[in-house]
Amino acid sequence: MTALLERPAAVAPRLRRDRRRWAWGLAALAAVGWSVAGALDGVNPAGAAQVGAFAAAALSPAVDGAFLGVLATAALVTVAYAVLGTALAVLLGALGAGAAARTTWGRRRLGRLGRLATRGVLAVPRGLHEAVWGLLLVTVLGLDPWVGVLAIGLPYGAVTATVFGALLDEVPRGPYEALRAAGAGRVAAALYGLLPRAAGGLLSYACYRLECAVRSAVVLGLVGAGGLGYQLSLSFSSLRWPQVWSAVYALALLCLAADVAGRAVRRRLAAPRRRAGVLSRDRVLTAAVLGTLAAGAWSWWFLALSPASLVSARAREQVGVVLRAAWPPSADADLLRSVASAAVGTVQTSVLAIALASVGAVVVMGVAARPAGRCPPGRRLAGVLVRLALLLLRAVPAPVWALVLLFVLLPGVLPGAVALGVYTLGVLGRLAGEAVEEADAGPRAALGALGAHPVAGWLYGVAPVVAGPVLAYALHRWEVTVRDTLLVGLLGAGGLGALLASELATFDWPAVATVLAATVVLTLAVDLVGDRARRALR
Amino acid sequence: MGRPPPIPWRSRAPPPPTRPDVVAARRALRSGSPVVPSLSRRAFLAGLTLAAATACGRSSPVGRGTAAPGSLSIGAIPDQDPEVLQRLHGTVADSLSAALDLDVTYTPVTDYGAAVSLFRTGDLDLVWFGGLTGVQARLQTPGATTIAQRDVDTDFHSVFVVQSATGLAPSDDLRPLAGLRFTYGAETSTSGRLMPAWFLQQAGVDPQGFPGGPGFSGSHDATLQLVASGSYQAGVLNEQVWAARTAEGAVDPSVVAYARTPGYHDYHWLLGPRAADLAGPLRDYFTGLRADDPDDAAVLDLFGAGSFVPARASDHDRIEQIGRELGLVT
Repeated sequence: MTALLERPAAVAPRLRRDRRRWAWGLAALAAVGWSVAGALDGVNPAGAAQVGAFAAAALSPAVDGAFLGVLATAALVTVAYAVLGTALAVLLGALGAGAAARTTWGRRRLGRLGRLATRGVLAVPRGLHEAVWGLLLVTVLGLDPWVGVLAIGLPYGAVTATVFGALLDEVPRGPYEALRAAGAGRVAAALYGLLPRAAGGLLSYACYRLECAVRSAVVLGLVGAGGLGYQLSLSFSSLRWPQVWSAVYALALLCLAADVAGRAVRRRLAAPRRRAGVLSRDRVLTAAVLGTLAAGAWSWWFLALSPASLVSARAREQVGVVLRAAWPPSADADLLRSVASAAVGTVQTSVLAIALASVGAVVVMGVAARPAGRCPPGRRLAGVLVRLALLLLRAVPAPVWALVLLFVLLPGVLPGAVALGVYTLGVLGRLAGEAVEEADAGPRAALGALGAHPVAGWLYGVAPVVAGPVLAYALHRWEVTVRDTLLVGLLGAGGLGALLASELATFDWPAVATVLAATVVLTLAVDLVGDRARRALR
Repeated sequence: MGRPPPIPWRSRAPPPPTRPDVVAARRALRSGSPVVPSLSRRAFLAGLTLAAATACGRSSPVGRGTAAPGSLSIGAIPDQDPEVLQRLHGTVADSLSAALDLDVTYTPVTDYGAAVSLFRTGDLDLVWFGGLTGVQARLQTPGATTIAQRDVDTDFHSVFVVQSATGLAPSDDLRPLAGLRFTYGAETSTSGRLMPAWFLQQAGVDPQGFPGGPGFSGSHDATLQLVASGSYQAGVLNEQVWAARTAEGAVDPSVVAYARTPGYHDYHWLLGPRAADLAGPLRDYFTGLRADDPDDAAVLDLFGAGSFVPARASDHDRIEQIGRELGLVT
């Protein structure tokens, strides 16, 4: 009897406010408020006619044969850049994965130092946008197809090394330890004990990188490296809207193809087919891998890449000239002041952009999600239209949005922020829609069965479930947006990018080095903040 | 002491033979990864060599083809509508290849800095530079030769334009511009940035001090569009482009001329060291263009020039000095 009484009464789990989350939430609100205050420049209704002309041309793209031929060649160049850039990134990633993995270094102090050093080395290529790499490479390599391949391959390679390292860390280490204990060398043990288990994840990530590379290849064109982006920027500076829209539709088609193919392959990788309980060969996957390899060989041939031009006397001489001129970086007080204020502008722009995109994504995600089961054709049609609109939003590169919006928004933070917001909405809307699709349908169905209104069912059954993933996506996209803010600035919308463009225009290499260093530090800081905030969400 | 008996579990007997591709396929299946038919190493290497070899004989769709001795690649700073430039320099390229019996190609570039960089790397041999970009290119490229300029380039002007909504009447006083949202052309444009900034400074206006900082539209045509839309209330552009667009009727009526700058030296052809031996023939070709010859007139007309005159590097000493003062030449 007494024994029973002595047992502590079961405590009902109490829902408590998580202070950490509150702190992050309030900080986010403050950041948005601060950025909005910095952007109150107003709008310019007089420019609506130009934006109207841009929008009207969407219905009458240029379709003359000569221009379409030019676009087709340009699209091939873009695809070739994307494929070879990804191939280089995967190669660099595979080489660097060992160095980036936690398991390689162990937990001892020396190991921690080694890991930090690797992270530092990888942070530099990662911290610079592909377009910045493109601009820098053009100045030393000139008009060479290597510019596009390296500008995608170097930053992507650093990211891929980090992710590959993390994937290797997640693999169970039993086989590796067993091989080591049996006397195998480290490399052989990793190759036979770790790699096979991680192969699916590695391939899936490589595939995701290829999708991203298509978009990056377009952006590289905008800074002059050839391909679709290049044609788009030429048509844009002539203000030939019908041609701009033809290029945009070509881009949308490419992005759509990459999205659909990439997602199909990744889905198959995530759930390998089994026949009678045994893993069986997936012909589609085999074809995809073989096709990608063939595309790589074709790209090499099409771009006429020549390894000799990378180590040619001309390239070495130009690299030498630029490096000698850039060292030591400038520490001029005026420059540092403008770097600081430009960095503030960059952060404000990115915060505003992600706030806009998040609100938009929350509004459209319900409609953008493919409904499970039967539903009225009107709902289905609305879903298709919203998904198409989102695709178009992300197919138009953010700098193009910025240049169009400059006609109706007064110069300052706003055009860049709205442009990035619109572009990011295209990405975030899709991700949020997928989060809704993957959410557990039970709560909502239960509420519906109890007679709740569909809106109430959505608010109480779906929204709480998807809030976490959507916020995590938004934070991740914020990190990407900061990098994209640089790109938009590079093409004329303020912030660190604009500063970099003006230093590059005057060939002030020491100042360029300073701005680049500031960029790397800023992106590192933003990654750190984003990482911490996401950890608080988990 | 004899040899120790063999340890049974370490016997050296060869394992039962298995076909290597079967092992590979089995391994791949176990790991859940797709099976890629294995390729013999020799076939793979042969394929690679073949691919590299075919690539060598092909000219890339981006960048220049081969830098053959009989070829000349020309370029220009993208100061206006790329389609206009394409037409203009396409005509020049045709005329040049006929006159000098060379293979001449025109390569468009996306920004002023790229034109300078590509001239330095040797991708562009003969470039139509502005005053400031020409100075930048010459300072970065040892062995560059100034070839020729148009008659109008010896006395070139810029025009300040304003939105009619500002109510400003044309005047020689630049000070009222200081309170307006103002855009230049490209950052290193001579007529759209350097000289206007210099004349503003002379008039007591801080060239970097407009409300919200000055904008950089990127080209003369873009300046016109942005002032027409009202995003910027004032701007400055090359007088020649202004005159041409006004004559075409392509200027929005809300954009009006405000002031005209004094004259200065501007555009010129600069030749890179790779084709230095062509300096004489090229100079003869440009200065020999006659307005009464219909073919020549087509070229001169597109350039908006009466004739070309020889140019020397020293013509742009003043530009270089002003560039250094404004921090645009380092």
